[in-house]
Amino acid sequence: MIQEINTKEYDKMEKIGPMLVEFYSKKCGPCKMLSFVLRDIDKLKPDFKIFTIDFDENKDLKERLGVTGFPTMLFMKNGEEINRLQGLKQKPVIIKAVEEIE
Amino acid sequence: MSNKVTYSSQENLITRQNNAEKAFLETFEKEEFTLDNPQLVVNPYLINPLCALVMFKTAEAVAPIITVKGKRNSREDISHTFPAATSHMLPVLGLYENFTNTIVISLPDGFSKDLTIKTGQLPLGVCRSLNIRTSMDYLQDNLMFMSPAGKNLPVAFDYKGDIRWMLTENTIFDIKRVANGNILTGSSRFAFMLYSTTGIIEMNLLGKVCKEFRLPGGYHHDQFEMDDGNVLVLTQDFHRGTVEDMCVLIDRKTGDILKTWDFKTFIPQDVGGSGSQDPRDWFHNNSVWYDKATHSIILAGRHQDAVVSINYDTSELNWIIGDPEGWPRDMVDKYFFTPVGDRKNFDWQYEQHAALVCPNGDIMCFDNGQYRSKNKDNYIKNRDNFSRGVRYRIDTEKMEIEQVWQYGKERGQEFYSPYIGSVEYYDEGHYMTHSGGIANQNGYAADLIGPLAAKADPLTEMRSITVEEKDGVVMYELESEGHFYRAEKLPLYHDGDNATFEPGQMLGKLDVTPEFDTVPDAVAVDEQPPASNGIVIEEDEDLIVFNATFEGGTLAMLCLEGKEKRHHYFINTSAIPYIAMCSGLFHETDDRIIKMKISKEGLKGKLAVKVIINEKKYDTGVAIFCP
Repeated sequence: MIQEINTKEYDKMEKIGPMLVEFYSKKCGPCKMLSFVLRDIDKLKPDFKIFTIDFDENKDLKERLGVTGFPTMLFMKNGEEINRLQGLKQKPVIIKAVEEIE
Repeated sequence: MSNKVTYSSQENLITRQNNAEKAFLETFEKEEFTLDNPQLVVNPYLINPLCALVMFKTAEAVAPIITVKGKRNSREDISHTFPAATSHMLPVLGLYENFTNTIVISLPDGFSKDLTIKTGQLPLGVCRSLNIRTSMDYLQDNLMFMSPAGKNLPVAFDYKGDIRWMLTENTIFDIKRVANGNILTGSSRFAFMLYSTTGIIEMNLLGKVCKEFRLPGGYHHDQFEMDDGNVLVLTQDFHRGTVEDMCVLIDRKTGDILKTWDFKTFIPQDVGGSGSQDPRDWFHNNSVWYDKATHSIILAGRHQDAVVSINYDTSELNWIIGDPEGWPRDMVDKYFFTPVGDRKNFDWQYEQHAALVCPNGDIMCFDNGQYRSKNKDNYIKNRDNFSRGVRYRIDTEKMEIEQVWQYGKERGQEFYSPYIGSVEYYDEGHYMTHSGGIANQNGYAADLIGPLAAKADPLTEMRSITVEEKDGVVMYELESEGHFYRAEKLPLYHDGDNATFEPGQMLGKLDVTPEFDTVPDAVAVDEQPPASNGIVIEEDEDLIVFNATFEGGTLAMLCLEGKEKRHHYFINTSAIPYIAMCSGLFHETDDRIIKMKISKEGLKGKLAVKVIINEKKYDTGVAIFCP
């Protein structure tokens, strides 16, 4: 499941279990490419939660989470960041990070 | 389809040179050339317009002498005696540009023949000498060879500042003469941004590339010939996220990699960072030297302000020369030196280049001095800074260091080169200091390194100053236009084979360019990409270079499509800030221009070149062939 959320929705949601939070920018080619990679991962792991957040429109949240660039992927479990990947990555790298928190 | 894509396909330089050589050798064999009527081939290898080959046969074996007559007087003549033979294929080196040169070929029996060679004007953009102060007595038959640091070309200046050798090919980085008299330097072929090329080339001064040694991780900055002829070359694994942090030993005969040193295994990456450090280019290795006395390798790491010695066999750290601030305590205690002697005049080196080992074990380098501190609060502005050649004496028992010589601090900003430069040791008290990257704006050292300063202000004055000092006296000073990475003083002729006639060889291997395993949705259209993308595809025998202009944020992918297999390569359209620009060879002033090499290694057959740009897949109309 891939869902676009904003700061309010992020703060409000229950952060139970593993999930991936991706910060992207509409002005970023690698972010656009990553959206297709995440779509493929979603097909492989439809029960895994993926949230995407616009870096430019959620400044307070990205600062709170220490995100300085895009794309940045935060791998979280029960609300706690376990791992993060910065920049465009290919499927095997992301799947490995997902499986480490599942 | 309209013409919106530019495609060029060219045989490799080695192939072109081999063909040219074959043609003039065939002519030489077919016809009867004598000293009175010799075969003359100007620029025989296509890339050095200031040379020629004179070819003739004699009935008896004789040792001919070639003399390139000086422009002004006979003391300027350049002469070389060749070994006795009956078939003579003699290189003529050191012609003056745009001049009717006189060449005299003389035989031991007194017979001689005068030839004239009229040369043309050198290409526009060749960097010229502006001021030179030396004497013929000092420089003798040497020229000062300069390797370019940008889109300028390699040149060599004589004692008057005249260009007597040049290449129209933009070879790059270090230039060194090896034991057989040839030179080793960087190939001009693009491998990775910002300035990595496909490998190193071994060439003679006619410009003939005898061998290109290709490397999967490309070449940058420096190489060093070992006693057995094999070569240490600086490289990287470009696909693991960091750069300029590996060295390999290559077999001179085969180009095979015999040994690899991975710096990540012996130096921590997140400590001791210089002002230019970033996680990707954490070490920025810009020189390599093998020290036989200690069986160690000496590496200069600009982005840790460090000159590092490692054991050749085990890669274990021996010592580190540099300001210890920012390094872990245990490393400082174990590997760093304490200054002794004249502490008042002692300075650490910062962002240094070209470290070398003197015969007595002293270490010399070009201390660029950029930032001249580890601490951001203490960074020094370029106009208040200095660059210099420096020599340190180290005691590895007591872990003490003493500065025993320097040249340049006293010249301040006028000699300041923040990003390139070199030193040479000739003898005790006899050194070269080459400050190759001086940039001035409004009379002051520019705040940015030259290529970036010039991008912001085209009036930036780019200069290179090379000084030789003997026993404290400046014997040579050359100021030239442009930026030159290193300087190397060499005579044109040497005692070995000045010209050989075996076909040039392409050795080693390029990498297999990693593909992207996800392909974005895109509608295939029967059109070429828009002209605004300015797509240029350059095909070489073993690679293609894809050039294009993309607005930031564009989704782009290069697709090579064959009948059986398709290959996809992600194109990063984000502007990447390059702060450590040791060479601007491939750098474009427009941030939107991307340049990408696809190696043909691992590809097969005829492949159509298509490009995904956002939601459309365009057909460039170009097909490449992979053997």
